[in-house]
Order: sequence, then structure tokens, then C-alpha cells
Amino acid sequence: MNALIKFAVPLAFLVCAVVLVLDPVPFVSPVAARVPTPAWATDPTPVRQPKLKPEYVAAGFTYQCMDCHRIIPSPAETFRRLTQHTEIQLNHGINTRCFNCHHPTNRNAFVDDFGDEIPWDQPQLLCAKCHGPVYRDWQAGSHGRINGYWDTTKGPQTKRRCIECHDPHRPPFAQLPPAPGPNTLRMGRPVPVEHGGRRDPLRLFAPDNHSASPH
Amino acid sequence: MADSAPVSGNASPPPSEAGVSRRQFLGQGAAVAAGLSALAAAMSPLRHLSDDDLPSVEEFLQKHYKEMTPADKERALERIREQVKKRYGVDAKVSDPPPLDGVEFVYGLNISRCIGCRKCVHACVAENNQSRSPEIQYIRVLEMEKGSIDLETANHHYDPEQVPRPDKWYMPVQCHQCANPPCVKVCPVEATWQEPDGITVIDYDWCIGCRYCEAACPYFARRFNFTRPEIPKDEINPNMSYLSNRPRQKGVMEKCTFCLHRTRVGQLPACLEVCPTGSRKFGNVLDPNSEVHYILKNKRVFVLKADVGTLPRFFYYFDERGSRYHEPITPDTKGKELKEGA
Repeated sequence: MNALIKFAVPLAFLVCAVVLVLDPVPFVSPVAARVPTPAWATDPTPVRQPKLKPEYVAAGFTYQCMDCHRIIPSPAETFRRLTQHTEIQLNHGINTRCFNCHHPTNRNAFVDDFGDEIPWDQPQLLCAKCHGPVYRDWQAGSHGRINGYWDTTKGPQTKRRCIECHDPHRPPFAQLPPAPGPNTLRMGRPVPVEHGGRRDPLRLFAPDNHSASPH
Repeated sequence: MADSAPVSGNASPPPSEAGVSRRQFLGQGAAVAAGLSALAAAMSPLRHLSDDDLPSVEEFLQKHYKEMTPADKERALERIREQVKKRYGVDAKVSDPPPLDGVEFVYGLNISRCIGCRKCVHACVAENNQSRSPEIQYIRVLEMEKGSIDLETANHHYDPEQVPRPDKWYMPVQCHQCANPPCVKVCPVEATWQEPDGITVIDYDWCIGCRYCEAACPYFARRFNFTRPEIPKDEINPNMSYLSNRPRQKGVMEKCTFCLHRTRVGQLPACLEVCPTGSRKFGNVLDPNSEVHYILKNKRVFVLKADVGTLPRFFYYFDERGSRYHEPITPDTKGKELKEGA
């Protein structure tokens, strides 16, 4: 008996040592592989840059509409199909007339309620003709993008105007592809629909968690 | 030959009190050697420890943030600069901007404009040097059915081709910087506290990682560093501050600080800068000309889980439609704004 213990104790220690050094059972990390973040997801550029549309800039246009329209006056508005500007898809609710917004004689300007000109770089005054409450919110800052400094005594603030987010011919904010979803510890993984979409905390660290990728 | 009695050391010596037999010595020695080797094997992971993993003496003796003198703070910032240089090879600007007088920060989020694109989530990660793997994100964007506000069935894993989906609405949740913060109350070592400008901050060097605050937060706004945060060297944001986005160590909590290294010098937070729809609004609520002051005064506003009494400084608001169409646009502002710089 005594000899057995004398033999078994060192053997047990040695087995422990071998197991600890060789580490035959690999550690399974619950941390999933990193999902790369696309560069556009952290890019603060506005969705629209209306004056700088690359194909027009490359073609040498400076967006002075009267460069053409001085020579070629556009006809009075009729129901016939457009022969120019056919890429414009007008989808602006009941606002279906070009000259509701564009000045009938000066194409470098917009038109206000009295037929006077609104400068082309003040589009918010045009939109305000119909969208009064939104215009008031925009003036106060609760609608629209503001970038830069909240404290204007310390730095510049950029207030984005309507057409830097909205296409005036199709005003609803365009849909975007979403940036990658969370892959975070304790945020779990997407639950199959058959579980009613509810989060099951016991499944959070199940081994199949990192084989199942949300993408 | 009378005294030729046998002396000791013959064929079968009886075990004496004076020593051990060879057999015993070998057996017990083998057991001790095996035990020592097992102990060494069990401690062998310590070989992989670098001096980076252990706090330096200076770090160990560092006082609580509130008890540090300006000289202590400068030493701590210098130590962080050196650590960042050593680990990431980046010359960081580590500062400690103090809270501004007469400023209380408030966040507004327009849920009728949020489209759920998650750009705020990733801008926040890039700005605040959060761990990329395992991933730590301060902002969670919940997707819910229109007409309901059921957080239990809200989904933050939505992944359609395009957002917003027409029958859903989106609600980003992050730290609400509560005026009555439960996370601060439960901290056993006072490693987290509320600053005079309303931001709840953490001294990462004082945090013991007990995660009580994570459990206490009703918004799941706090995150724990289960491992050393992994940040690619080329993605480090070198604009750091002691209380916000300096690289964290393993085993400490972290949370949104309204980007205090930006906002305390007058800039807007990173999540707001990147928002494509302008749903996010930030400012000093004590300034009657600020956007957030206007929102709280004029818009329909609610806070998340108002019933738990945390008094958040993060307000959700929405645009009511058709309620004020009779009000005229003030004509005196026509043409006056946006003359330059806009």
C-alpha cells in the first residue's frame, strides 16, 4: 500500500505536468473573428454634393444654367415629354411642375411665391415655401445636419442645407446599406426566426456562436 | 574478540531515527521533483507575461483621479503617452480637458429621422479606440416594429440590403449620462463619478473590474474589457484624454463619455459628425440659443425607461406632422442666414 502511494503520487504529478505543458484540450475563445469596417461607415461626408457632381465637373460644366439657357430658351411648360434633362425623375408629391421651383426666365435662380428670384445658393428659402415647420426646425437646429463645433466661439460650424441630404426632385432621404452589425460579447448572435427572435442568454457562449456569423 | 559485536551498516539495516534509507530518499525525492515540475508547468503561462501586462510601480502607486495634483496628472499623462508610443508606435496627444463652467451637455436624437445605418456605431469605435476584437461598441441601434416600443423584441442584429425598412423604426441606445446614475452608486471603489458638466466618467486606473456598474445600468451602456483591447496600429486615434478614449487595459469598464476630449473643447461628438440624416443633436442645455434647448422646449421629447428614475440627459424626440402648419415663417430671416461659411 505504502509502495503504491509512493509510486502513484509522483506519477500523478508527472501526468499533471505533461498535461499542463502540452495543453491537449485547446481553449475555445468565444471571441468571433473581426468583421472589417467599411471605410464609408466612418466617413462624415454628406450624402449629396449637388454642386460637385463628378461627371458634370469633368465635362467642364460650372452649373451656371444660363450658359445654355441664354441661347436656348426653354419653352413654356407643357405636358409633352422633356427632350433634355430626361435623367430627372420628378417624384415630389403634388409638386409636379418645374416652374414651381425653377425661375421661368432666370435658370440660375429659383422662384419665390411672388415670382421673384431666390438665389441658387439659398435653396432653403425655396423649400421653405411649402415646408414651413421643417424650415423653422432647420433654422433652430433641430432638423438637418450641423457639423464642426457646438461652441461657435471656439471654432467654425457648418450648417448643411436641404439639398445636401435631399434630392429636390426625389426628396425622401434615400435608403442606405447598413454598416456591419454587432459581433460583441454579451450582445449574442442573431436568433433564428423559429425562436421568435428572442434572445436566449444561455446560448450566448454556445460553441456554435462563432461559426454563425451575422454576415 | 569479545567486543567484536556487529557494527551498523550490515545487510539489512533497521530504519534509524537519524536518517532515511536510500529507498525512501529516492521515492520521496521523485515525488517532490514531480510535484515541483507540475508546479512549474502550471505556472508556465507566466512566461508569456511581458512587463507590459503588469502595472509599473508608478501606475500601482497612482492616486485616484480626484486626489491627483496637477503635477501627478501631468506625470500620469506622460506615462500614458509613453505606453501608447511603446504599444502602438503613435505619438498621441493625451490631454485632460476640464469640464467647462456653465455647461451641461445634453443629447437629442430624432427618432423620426434615424434610418438605422449604424454609421454612428463605427464612428464611435474609431474615435474612442475601442477594442476591435473582441468587439466593443458603445452604441446599439435597436430595430422595432412601427407602432410599438417593445425593447424585449427589439433586434440589434438586423441586416437588410437597405435601411430603413419601411415597416420598422430605429432607436440608437448609448450611455444616457443620467443625472441620477445607478452605475455610480454601486461602484465600490468610486472609480466612476459624474462630472459637473453631466458626463459620467471612469478612472480606468482605479477600476477594479467588478462589473457592478454594468449590472446596474438599465440601458446596457457599459462595456467590460475581457481581454487586452486589440486595436490595429493604423487605426489608433491619437487625440486622447485621460477620462475618455485613451487605450484601456484588460479588466476595466468603459462607456460613452459624449467624446469629452472633443466636446470639452467645443467640438461635436463623433457619432453626431458622421450621422448622415442629422438625427443627432448635441449641445449645452444651459444656453438658451442651443439646439438642444430648442428641442426640449418645442419638440415632443421622451426618455428611455423614465420609470426607473435615472433622469437621463439623452432625449429622444420626434417631428409631429401637420400640427403647426398655420404658423407663418418669420419673414425677417429671409436671405440673412448662410451668407458665408455655410
